[in-house]
Amino acid sequence: MTYVQSLLGILISALLTENFILVKFYGICPFMGVSKKIDTALGMGMAVTFVMAIASAACWAVYHLILVKLSLEYMKTVAFILVIAAIVQVVEMFLKKAVPALYKALGIYLPLITTNCAVLGAALVNVQMGYDFFQSVFFGFCGGLGFTLAIVLFASVRERVEKAECPACFKGFPITLISAGLLALAFMGFSGLKLF
Amino acid sequence: MTRKQTALYVARLGLTLFLITALVAAALAAVNHITAPRIAAEKERKTQEAIEKVLPGGGKLVEPGRYDNQDGLVANVYESDTGYAVEVTPSGFDGAITMMVGVSRDGKVLGISIISHTETAGLGAVAASDTPDGESFRNQFKGLSGELTVKKDGGTVDQLSGATITSRGVTRGVTAALKCVAGMG
Amino acid sequence: MNFKKQFTEGLLTKNPVTVQLLGMCSTLAITTSLFNGLGMGISVTLILICSNVLISALRKVIPSQIRIAAYIVIIAGFVTIVDLLLQAFLPELSESLGVFIPLIVVNCIILGRAEAFASKNGVLASAVDGLCQGIGYTVALVVMSVLRELLGSGTFGGGLLGGGLGYVVIPDPYPAMKIVMPVGGFLTLGVVIAFSQWLVARIEKKNKKKEAAKV
Repeated sequence: MTYVQSLLGILISALLTENFILVKFYGICPFMGVSKKIDTALGMGMAVTFVMAIASAACWAVYHLILVKLSLEYMKTVAFILVIAAIVQVVEMFLKKAVPALYKALGIYLPLITTNCAVLGAALVNVQMGYDFFQSVFFGFCGGLGFTLAIVLFASVRERVEKAECPACFKGFPITLISAGLLALAFMGFSGLKLF
Repeated sequence: MTRKQTALYVARLGLTLFLITALVAAALAAVNHITAPRIAAEKERKTQEAIEKVLPGGGKLVEPGRYDNQDGLVANVYESDTGYAVEVTPSGFDGAITMMVGVSRDGKVLGISIISHTETAGLGAVAASDTPDGESFRNQFKGLSGELTVKKDGGTVDQLSGATITSRGVTRGVTAALKCVAGMG
Repeated sequence: MNFKKQFTEGLLTKNPVTVQLLGMCSTLAITTSLFNGLGMGISVTLILICSNVLISALRKVIPSQIRIAAYIVIIAGFVTIVDLLLQAFLPELSESLGVFIPLIVVNCIILGRAEAFASKNGVLASAVDGLCQGIGYTVALVVMSVLRELLGSGTFGGGLLGGGLGYVVIPDPYPAMKIVMPVGGFLTLGVVIAFSQWLVARIEKKNKKKEAAKV
């Protein structure tokens, strides 16, 4: 398997067959929380993609250049979550100064990302799968794209579900979950899709 | 607040956070000190158990230089008088499958044993389970040799229902093990 | 301190899963067998009690500007300890829960209780809160697991009873395998939450009637 093929494999699996939300269940909280409207969903998705790619890079460096060298691999959870929290802070400050337009669009979603398990999940999966630096960043980025795809699709479903009638006890969250289930069912159709 | 007071306050924040982190790190180091040998022993025990299952009597670790790892799937090779136990890590439906393949000296599968995996419960996970389906899936490899593929891809191996990708992964692992042993001559 | 009130809140009226909708990732992902559900529930309960107690004990020492960072470090510490202990003493559980053990760090239940309860209340009350919320979480996970395992694999007590395979309730070709897959997670949780909403609504109605009768 060549390197390019491995990257394509990561793209397909992170986007469709092993979609972060609908198949792997990473990042369900923001998926449910910020999917009421398509534009907010898109904003959240972009913020997550952005942070996830950077966090994957930083966590890779921390793990391979610091923790492994000191044989402190067991500290990875603590180290990663600190790195992610710091990155979210830095990204927020940087955007505020450097790209105010982007900050305005993503601003309110950034603090929420620290506790988005998709970001920590991506960092942990990178270690588990033994990805190299570029593969890790790419995996983080594609995972974020998969997240965006799912959350935007779901938001557009939800905008319609809100207006539909359903039994009283299913109102609100349950019917949302059922719709998410149906979306996951659709994504199951991708399972088995493998290029190589 | 004067500038000096602010600096002191920030220093206090930093110090508190640093102390908490140091405390947590110390606690973790202590726990790790107790658990690390057990985790290593547990891993070793599982590996030995898997070797014993596919190559009765166990085997000795072969130096990596003696075999060719074409597909990059072979992790370790163990050798005894009767044959080899090859640890391979093909990818399944969801992450890598770590498995041990016993291969006789004349290049036939003696048996396979799955050490760890993260396949879907009820589907891919059946490949590693002790259910009748799982056993018959693993036992069908016994005595086979050469390049193996699942029936869906025109081969001879019966895939598990609903878990073609897992079956394909396991089959690819077995093929890699056979190739590795064949290459050792 | 009102233990009974805290308990009903944790179990039903403010159940972390069905009412507060926290910690959905693990709720959906690992509830495929009784063993997984119970194991995850107990692990989270332990971490929740420990982190609640420590955070409550340190609540006057930690300046509020850095409290979230401090909480996360403390929680990550306990999670890693539980992770290491499971790897060493219960390797089967650690393997089947996989990456969702370290992901307990970002489980909003724990940070949520730290922020909402432990940072404002005493050590004992926080411990009780951790226990009650943990029990509520465990019960929700077990209910989900039992349902999904029964409908999806046709067994009861997988990984725990009947020599690790569980007792077969529905024989082979009939279980709906999709229920143990991601789809089933969403659907089952939807139905479980709907049921709990119905239950809570009924209890509230009864209480209102009682009050009306009193007046």
